[in-house]
Amino acid sequence: MKKINQKEKAVVIIGSGAGGGTMAYQLTKAGIPCVCLEAGPYHKKEDYVNDEWGAFLQMAWLDARTTSGNWRVAKDFSGLPTWLCKAVGGTTTHWAGATPRFMDYEFKTKSTYGNVKGASLLDWPISLKDMEPYYTKAENAIGSTHRGGRPALPANNNYKVFAEGAKRVGYKFYATGPYGTNAEPYDGRPGSIQDGFNFQGDKNGSKWSTAKREIPRALETNLLDLRTESHVTRITHNEDGLVDGVIYIDIDGNEQRQEAKAVILSGNSIESPRLLLMSESSMFPDGLANSSGEVGRNYMRHLTGSMYARFEKPVRMYRGETMAGFCADEVKHNPNRGFVGGYYMETLALGPAFLGSFLEPGAWGREFTNMMDGYENVAGMWIVGEDMPQSKNRITLNTDVKDQYGNPVPNVHFDEHPNDIAMRTYAYEKAEELYKAVGAVQTWRTPPYPSTHNLGTCRMSAKPKDGVVNKWGRSHDIKNLYIADGSVMTTGAAANPTLTITALSMRFSENVISQLKKGNI
Amino acid sequence: MSISRRSFISGSIAASVFIALWDIDPSKAEVKIGDNPKDKKLLMKMCRDIYPHDRFPEGPYERTANDVITKGNAGDAKKAMLSDGIENLKKENYGNMDIEKSTKYLKKIEITDFFQHVRGTTVVTLYNDQEVWGLLGYEGPSFDKGGYINRGYNDLDWLPEPRIEEHPDLAVFLKADPNRLAAIEEMIKSN
Repeated sequence: MKKINQKEKAVVIIGSGAGGGTMAYQLTKAGIPCVCLEAGPYHKKEDYVNDEWGAFLQMAWLDARTTSGNWRVAKDFSGLPTWLCKAVGGTTTHWAGATPRFMDYEFKTKSTYGNVKGASLLDWPISLKDMEPYYTKAENAIGSTHRGGRPALPANNNYKVFAEGAKRVGYKFYATGPYGTNAEPYDGRPGSIQDGFNFQGDKNGSKWSTAKREIPRALETNLLDLRTESHVTRITHNEDGLVDGVIYIDIDGNEQRQEAKAVILSGNSIESPRLLLMSESSMFPDGLANSSGEVGRNYMRHLTGSMYARFEKPVRMYRGETMAGFCADEVKHNPNRGFVGGYYMETLALGPAFLGSFLEPGAWGREFTNMMDGYENVAGMWIVGEDMPQSKNRITLNTDVKDQYGNPVPNVHFDEHPNDIAMRTYAYEKAEELYKAVGAVQTWRTPPYPSTHNLGTCRMSAKPKDGVVNKWGRSHDIKNLYIADGSVMTTGAAANPTLTITALSMRFSENVISQLKKGNI
Repeated sequence: MSISRRSFISGSIAASVFIALWDIDPSKAEVKIGDNPKDKKLLMKMCRDIYPHDRFPEGPYERTANDVITKGNAGDAKKAMLSDGIENLKKENYGNMDIEKSTKYLKKIEITDFFQHVRGTTVVTLYNDQEVWGLLGYEGPSFDKGGYINRGYNDLDWLPEPRIEEHPDLAVFLKADPNRLAAIEEMIKSN
């Protein structure tokens, strides 16, 4: 592996997930040496375990965090606002695999939805047209099924229930994808063996992740200096206000500094704003890239909710690809339903260990155990829809609580918007209808899990006063500081975000490359 | 539930023994709160009453109660909580309550740290128990067996085979102006 001297002014990427891992490959492929600092270790596919709690403890980001606001996660999982990964590959190691694109109007929701009270909607500075070429490239990198001539995954048991229910209530737009796991061998990865483990990392390597594709390929260029278990705690700047280095704690617990000519921040929507806020200085007392005051604000986590349904006959939802079931009929904005925006329905399966903990946190007694007792006969779906950005929903530094390095932990504040609640209620009713249409004897409205889709907090905007980065992911304030992760999303759309994060990172990388080649950074 | 030193001292025999030891050398104290057949039986009943599964044998509940005891002995505050909780169960003659009575009682103490400790430990440990997985029909790790591709990922036979491809109108649907779609839907409804 390439070694880059810590005194050398390098291109430094913080994080190796969908944003950072993609960036590392794009830049090294273009001949640019990079340092990639990843807080977690490098698990290979043979290291993953087919065990829900075991895998959770292996990969989840479990550093101390606090929560506030009226969302239920703050009550049930007050120290675990999100379910993200600390590993090479970031959260692509445990993502399920759904890869829908945003729709055209989802890039301009302020114009489409109008004023929504309490929401800080804003149109993106880019359109679907701008994104289409990158979406195609990202789908080809990921190997999305149903796209680019790639075949669909077959129907598994959970999908059979889901699709037939959808059909019976009059839905049309159901299918087994688009999905980021191979139905047949593609791009050096084998076809799925339907082992049912996705959130635990894919031991078979059929699922795309940057740990499987982008990072190894970037390493093969011999231009990537990947430093694992290297936790960045501060980005520094010079007297011209340009970033010039990062401070990190290395694998042995020692503080190190890497000189930088450009920094690309890909730490996800919690750690990216936290790092900017922690990097405050006398020149930037409110944190880096924060002249707008928008760093950390407009945190979104998608609507989410799950519906589990028990039947009289076996389903065995745990067999097969977890989220290879998709229904788009409710995704279009239609204010007649009593809310703006829309949502997807996607199959979801948990094992008994996670279903017990997440079906209804805190619940007990016979009604609960009836559901668990019928585990073999249970089918499940996830509801994922657009939630409203709100300025007050934000990541702040909680100076009362310190992490393992003595730094303030991020506090995640989230209040649900009335639109979120209206959409979720509607979605639960529709999901119940769907499962009852195929004979459900018991249904359960499962509340949102700790957030897996974390968006906003460094949003992209046309005007510097409205956001943190421009349409190329470059911070409005500091020209050699880029952000490439879900935090740049101006609004969240209904789509699972990984495809869009990957496509955005590809797009941003072109700007990084051209600015470096022109000598502007 | 407030925990005072007094309530701790007035706790189970095990606690009293422990207190006697701790004044001498707490690190040598080995008696664990609840770690005796009588207390464990009470805790097993409580685990079962909170998450009742008639077809589960005693084994999973016993392993769960063991975990309730182990985790309830992690530190002085936890020990006091556990000791107090067990003592209260005894006072209420919990061991002789039928499920109806015990459910009512558990509902009453639901907000206590003791209940939450037992419930919170049980929900994780019980449903992570491999014997329980088998009883529920869950097969656990599958990769080493080649996944389910040849072992029934699609063996559900009580519903018809569904379409797996996207509907041909999907692309148009996703592209259409949402306001236009809403107007069409309104028109259909009002006709």
